Amino acid sequence: MKKNKSFSYAKYGYLFSIPFVVVYAIFSLYPTLNTAILGFTDAKGMTGLTQWNFLPKEKFFNNFIQLFKNPMFMMSFKNTLILWVVNFIPQILLALLLTAWFTSRRNELRAQGLFKVIFYMPNIITAASIAILFNKLFAYPVGPVNSLLQNLHIIDEPINFVNKVGTTRGIISFIQFWMWYGYTMIILISGVLGINPDLYEAAELDGASNSQMFWKITIPNLKTILLYTMITSMIGGLNMYDIPQLFNKGNPANSTLTTNMYIYNQAFSGSYMYARAAAASMVMFIIIAIASVLVFLAFNDDEGKAKREAKRAARLARKEVG
Amino acid sequence: MKKILALALAVVMVFGMMAVSAAAEDKTTINLWSFTDELQGMMNKYLELNPELAEKFEINSVVINNDGSAYVNALDSALMNGEPDIYGAEADYVFKYSQGVASEFAATYEELGIDVEAGIAAAEIAPYTIDIGTRPADGKVVALAYQSTGGAFIYRRSIAKDVFGTDDPAVIGEKIGAGSGNWDAFFAAAEELKAKGYKMVSGTGDVWNVIKTAAPTGWVVDDALNIDPMREEYLDLAKKLKDNDYMNDATQWQEAWFADMKAESKVFGFYGPAWLINYTLGPNCGEGESSSNGDWAVCAPNIGFYWGGTYLLAGKGAAADPVKAEFVKGFIEWVTLDTSDTGLQYMWANGLMNENGTKDTVASNVVLAKSNGEVEFLDGQNMFEYFIPANEYAKATNMTQYDSIINDAWGAAVGQYAAGEVDRDTAIQNFKMDLSGKLDIEIDF
Amino acid sequence: MAKKLHTGIQRTPAQKVFRVIQYIVCIFLAILSLFPFVIMLVNATRSTIQIQNHPISFVFGSSLMNNIRILNRTEMFSAVTGLKNSFIISACATALTVYFSTLTAYALVAYEWKLKGPFFAFILGVMMIPATVTSIGFYQFMYRIHWTNSLLPLIIPAVAAPGTVFFMRQFMVPALPMEIVQSARVDGAAEFRTFNQIVLPIMKPAMATQAIFCFVGNWNNLFIPSILLTNRDKYTMPIMVSLLNGDVYKTEYGAIYLGILLTVLPIFVIYFALSKYIIAGVALGGVKE
Repeated sequence: MKKNKSFSYAKYGYLFSIPFVVVYAIFSLYPTLNTAILGFTDAKGMTGLTQWNFLPKEKFFNNFIQLFKNPMFMMSFKNTLILWVVNFIPQILLALLLTAWFTSRRNELRAQGLFKVIFYMPNIITAASIAILFNKLFAYPVGPVNSLLQNLHIIDEPINFVNKVGTTRGIISFIQFWMWYGYTMIILISGVLGINPDLYEAAELDGASNSQMFWKITIPNLKTILLYTMITSMIGGLNMYDIPQLFNKGNPANSTLTTNMYIYNQAFSGSYMYARAAAASMVMFIIIAIASVLVFLAFNDDEGKAKREAKRAARLARKEVG
Repeated sequence: MKKILALALAVVMVFGMMAVSAAAEDKTTINLWSFTDELQGMMNKYLELNPELAEKFEINSVVINNDGSAYVNALDSALMNGEPDIYGAEADYVFKYSQGVASEFAATYEELGIDVEAGIAAAEIAPYTIDIGTRPADGKVVALAYQSTGGAFIYRRSIAKDVFGTDDPAVIGEKIGAGSGNWDAFFAAAEELKAKGYKMVSGTGDVWNVIKTAAPTGWVVDDALNIDPMREEYLDLAKKLKDNDYMNDATQWQEAWFADMKAESKVFGFYGPAWLINYTLGPNCGEGESSSNGDWAVCAPNIGFYWGGTYLLAGKGAAADPVKAEFVKGFIEWVTLDTSDTGLQYMWANGLMNENGTKDTVASNVVLAKSNGEVEFLDGQNMFEYFIPANEYAKATNMTQYDSIINDAWGAAVGQYAAGEVDRDTAIQNFKMDLSGKLDIEIDF
Repeated sequence: MAKKLHTGIQRTPAQKVFRVIQYIVCIFLAILSLFPFVIMLVNATRSTIQIQNHPISFVFGSSLMNNIRILNRTEMFSAVTGLKNSFIISACATALTVYFSTLTAYALVAYEWKLKGPFFAFILGVMMIPATVTSIGFYQFMYRIHWTNSLLPLIIPAVAAPGTVFFMRQFMVPALPMEIVQSARVDGAAEFRTFNQIVLPIMKPAMATQAIFCFVGNWNNLFIPSILLTNRDKYTMPIMVSLLNGDVYKTEYGAIYLGILLTVLPIFVIYFALSKYIIAGVALGGVKE
């Protein structure tokens, strides 16, 4: 039966993909490929983007070799991982918790609409404004946070937050967490709203508890959206740039300099090492791709199972309601 | 696939043409690129003074803020397309355009038809600005500034009287070792101030401003990192300032730094050029009771330095087109070399260019000599008296196009060491690691 | 009906405590979220000097009129032009992204075609490309074809948004019952019409969320527009605000905060207009029948 359909309608799959493919090819793929090949060239200097030669055969991977020899690249990779993990774990947990609260069908919170709207709001302002705001908040030796802590007698001497590795990383992770948990929550909620309400109604009639419904219906049906959240957050996290750059320029002791800042610095900060920046981009791309495939496999393992379960539940639900 | 791509490209091109072909008139268009609207304001004034030019030329003013190097990136692309006729560059990155990789795109002032040597001599232009604007490849001037930003020491009169018994700039200058080229007298004075409960400076950054342009060798020598002993010494100076409580540990442009400009502050003084008085110290000196307005004076610094400045360059294309060259020559000459009362620098020095009437030092000493630098903020002291020689002391030799990056990195590393977060060697290692991710220079780990 | 069953039930003390905790957490998070907006609002009424000396304050100042004057005086700043350009770019880009991403996702979900798998893998792949360096390739390309000072290079590429396609696909897999599509086919509806009239309404909640993100992203975009748009008539709001930053010597902070406030206000309007899709569980039209 399936085969029959695919035979007659397959052309629409191609047809509906054309706008995406054409626009992507021109405006993204072409410039991207143009950049990617730079990794195997000697592109450098101001005119590096227009005048370059491929590296000779024996040195073809020289840019990549140089990259792995560079201590700053290794350090930046470590920084990026730390900053991402420390903000992502609390972010996804809080987002899930709030999603559970706000989509609970029995224990409806008053003004929850307002809360949902407000929690996303930090994301409305530009990263630049946020970074500057936090920078001022943690100013030293006189600043709002220092004054507050001193008035509460938590500390005696002001703390130079942005000159300590731990506090700077903590603040940047917090900003990321705070800016994005609302976004993640909205994504998850929209996923929950997409779940067939019949499933819940049937479960309610069966006398299922809130938490039972959350774990047995919401989570399995949310798998595809959770996968989306995981993948996009990982991509966003491993490409982190704005906040660490604008908050403290990667200081102190190079502890908040991310790989994307590294790439940017290679390409633009002084020597215009386009070739090495392109090589670093490709390495990051490969790392992200491998990580994504792993996440995908982990999720897909039971995506099929979840789908089957959901379908069965839906059938049951319809029967009962009907 | 190829066909689709080609077709789409064609469509794109047509749209592109339509977007560009809008401005076709008889007037010659001059492309003016800058990172603030300051140059545009000057251009407006210039056309106002020369209405006949306004009829023949049209100004296409492009202003891009350099946040995230947006201006520099856009300017680079535009220069490669030969677009900008006149462009501005800030002291932080002017070396790239006057001496570094992008200097080949600049027309020399000579090519524009400016008799630059005679002009410089006649106007007595501050020598360090000429150094900055001279292209090493051919020794020709490609950039000049209208402002001069030679720095002095700006201190509180009341504190000077309390500690040293006088507020006379000559005496105070001696106290901090004016012209000595070292920090011995400075620290002796700091100790005296400390005994009475005062701080010498607000933060380590204030001292760094002085050192960074003063070292005898550059940060990069033969494509390798070179840490000049004088710059390395900053590590110890900063530590000394911190450990002995000679400063307030404030960071420039932060709350605490501004607070140190008020009357109740215990900070003795700030290193800076004239613009620091106009734009920063003056507006932030407090109001009413806590106002330190009039309680300030300027004296010569122990080491000559400069801080900031905007430079003017012309594109190669402008020099090649006689009609454009004529106009560009006129404007650049008026801004950088004209010493008459209708020249830009005279108006700039005497506060006639802006509504607040703030006075500033300019590149031409001839103009400064006939201008009045008396300001209320300094209790009527003529600030030009010390800023004119400051322009002589300021040095811009041994500078490289990488300096702003290296200086930032060094400042951060030193801050860590001074605060006791890391030891001396680790601070230097961190600094080298930082640079290894930014510059293509040899670094000895 | 199910709801009514439960509203009458008395809550246990433990449930009451839990509820209080929920409210405390939510109110705390709400305060954290609103904090920067309060600062922005307050600082828009304060003078540059006040802001420099105390960047964070909850006391309104009296410099609002003066800040407005500074904005008006600044040649580079024209709120009308900025808002207009920003709106054109953001609205068009958002419409294109949301519509075409849903269409592309539909192609990936509803049809069986040979290149479907590879195409999906491709979309996932390109999503992961770090944008830092490729954005430079993009603007070099735009320069080469002289497509600067046009809003189009900021709008047209929005048709291809891999991340949004991925989201739409992930949303569609569990939410779109193929039975409905099939019954439409039986009724003789053309495929394109089926998409527009049946699939799009079902996708409304997903489209609304993506529309918000997309609009905000486009509205706040600064780097590429500031390089491509060098003509004053084409400036967007964020470009104008960034120009207020002026030079290192003198910055009008009060006017900048006012500018940021003006930039944020329209997003607020759009956000609240679309937020009903986030707030109310919009019924999934197709499934409910």
